[in-house]
Amino acid sequence: MNYLLTTLTKKQEVDSMIRDTIDKVLVLCFGRASDSIFLQLDEILYKSVREVSKFATVALVDIDSDDVQVYIKYFDITLIPSTVFFFNAHHMKMDCGSADHTKWVGTFLRKQDFVDVVEAIYRGAMKGKLIVTCPLPPDRIPKFQLLYKDV
Amino acid sequence: MPIQNPNPNKKKKKHSNQDDDEDDTVQGKQRTQFEFCKACRLNHNQGRRHIYFPNHKKALSSFLSRFQSKLKNDVAFYLKKPMPLRPEHAALNRLWCVFCDFDILESDSSFACSGNAIAHLASAEHLKGVKSFLWKYGGGMDRMDSFRISESDFTKWEKKCKLLKSEAAGGGSHGSLIGPLNDIHNESKSEYVNSFDKNKLDCLTSDVKCSNSVVPLQDHTIERSQISHSKICTVGPQILHAGTGVGLGARTPNGLPGFFGNQHYTHSVPKEGPAYSCPNDGKQVYSYEGIAIGDRHSQGTSSEESRLQTQENGGGNVHSGAPPPWFSAAEKIQLDNKLNQGLGDLVSSLGEQMKTSKLNPKRVGAAWAERRKIELELEKRGELVRHDFGADWLPNFGRVWQSGSRKDSRKEFLGENKTWRKVDSQIEKPSQFQPYISKRMRTDNTAE
Repeated sequence: MNYLLTTLTKKQEVDSMIRDTIDKVLVLCFGRASDSIFLQLDEILYKSVREVSKFATVALVDIDSDDVQVYIKYFDITLIPSTVFFFNAHHMKMDCGSADHTKWVGTFLRKQDFVDVVEAIYRGAMKGKLIVTCPLPPDRIPKFQLLYKDV
Repeated sequence: MPIQNPNPNKKKKKHSNQDDDEDDTVQGKQRTQFEFCKACRLNHNQGRRHIYFPNHKKALSSFLSRFQSKLKNDVAFYLKKPMPLRPEHAALNRLWCVFCDFDILESDSSFACSGNAIAHLASAEHLKGVKSFLWKYGGGMDRMDSFRISESDFTKWEKKCKLLKSEAAGGGSHGSLIGPLNDIHNESKSEYVNSFDKNKLDCLTSDVKCSNSVVPLQDHTIERSQISHSKICTVGPQILHAGTGVGLGARTPNGLPGFFGNQHYTHSVPKEGPAYSCPNDGKQVYSYEGIAIGDRHSQGTSSEESRLQTQENGGGNVHSGAPPPWFSAAEKIQLDNKLNQGLGDLVSSLGEQMKTSKLNPKRVGAAWAERRKIELELEKRGELVRHDFGADWLPNFGRVWQSGSRKDSRKEFLGENKTWRKVDSQIEKPSQFQPYISKRMRTDNTAE
């Protein structure tokens, strides 16, 4: 699968990725390679990874591997593809108008949308904010229904 | 309400004017009368609040320190060692008193250089001016004495002047001999002098060199060269004050003469520095031992150097054993280049340091990032063995339905994890499957 970005399959790999990305946004995308939406997301990421390379690193995580199930539970990943943002090993939240601020669910409509989102995260992180608001208008944000806890 | 306005001119003082009262009642804070702040050089309508603003404080401190350095360099020197003033150069000697807002000219000062300035700085009006300035601009009233000359100092200076006068009267004949010679040189150099004056701010500083120090004519007496060189040496330490502070060596005498505004000579006893015994040795002084101070200075010196070189050609040549003009020039260029490189390196390294240290310390995870960087550095060097974080390490994550801090969410998760593991292990036990036997079949079996 060389049309995908660096895919991580082990917890240790994910850990080292999180710990070694210093002063840059880490974009972790959880998904399944067989999922078409995930592939579309990967396409967009692949095109923009170089442009954001100065302030962001992108990595994919295969949710089917056993080792990372801990993370899937920890991050509450139920809908795929889900993207989680980290900065200096701290999790960054983003308010996109949906109920779940901890991750980004779905794909990006355009390359520029992805770059805007990462930029917003970076700016907020540099100022010391752990939660930022999404710069995209609501029609560009994929909608989803959040499953309630214990349901 | 009767208008009480005793000082219509002094509107800059604390507002008790009718106009301001009206404005105050409308809006508590805004004063509508604009004033000009000399330190910040801007018009503001903030009244007395203005002096407490940090920008104003900064501007004021630089403003005062500039004037203070002028005072130190120029006036303080002459306070200690008064010198006679030549009338033709008097026009170049002037001081602008920032407190009293007027120019102190030396036009009819019979005393030494900057006599009028010293007299003004010691006067009572100046003291008044200083007081009002500091009060108005909030400079701190305890600093008053640094901006004026005390009466005791003034009397000392006056005495010295009188002594000098009497000396001058006594040694007048000797002086007159050398005088005309100086004048010839002075005339030719006056153009350079004036142009350098424009460049240099504190033209008062001057131990200005007599032209005789510059021109290495062969008919200079040893005595004159001694005097000239001694004068040169005295300027050296002064330039240390006036210069920009980058590595200074013994400043070359050649650069000096044109550099400073005034020219006057003294026939005083050599003050400091070595006495050069012969003209040839003296010429070595012209080889550029000093290091250029800065652009300003080098501009001044370059034209001077070219002029000097032509003079040297006439004066010192192969037969007298003088160094060739291109040799001395090249040395200076080399030195300049080395200095510039050194400066460049310093600046670039400083720039790098500035860059790295400017990452916002308040950014997310800053402390963690710094620690991690140090760890990675050590690992690179091989000092610290990389110890793997346990398999149970989890990043700082805020869960979806969390209430409380992120540490709590992590603990919660770990707790949940344990329960899941227990449940998993329990489920594993009943793995044996038995085929389904229907009731009819069972009853049939039992019946049969």
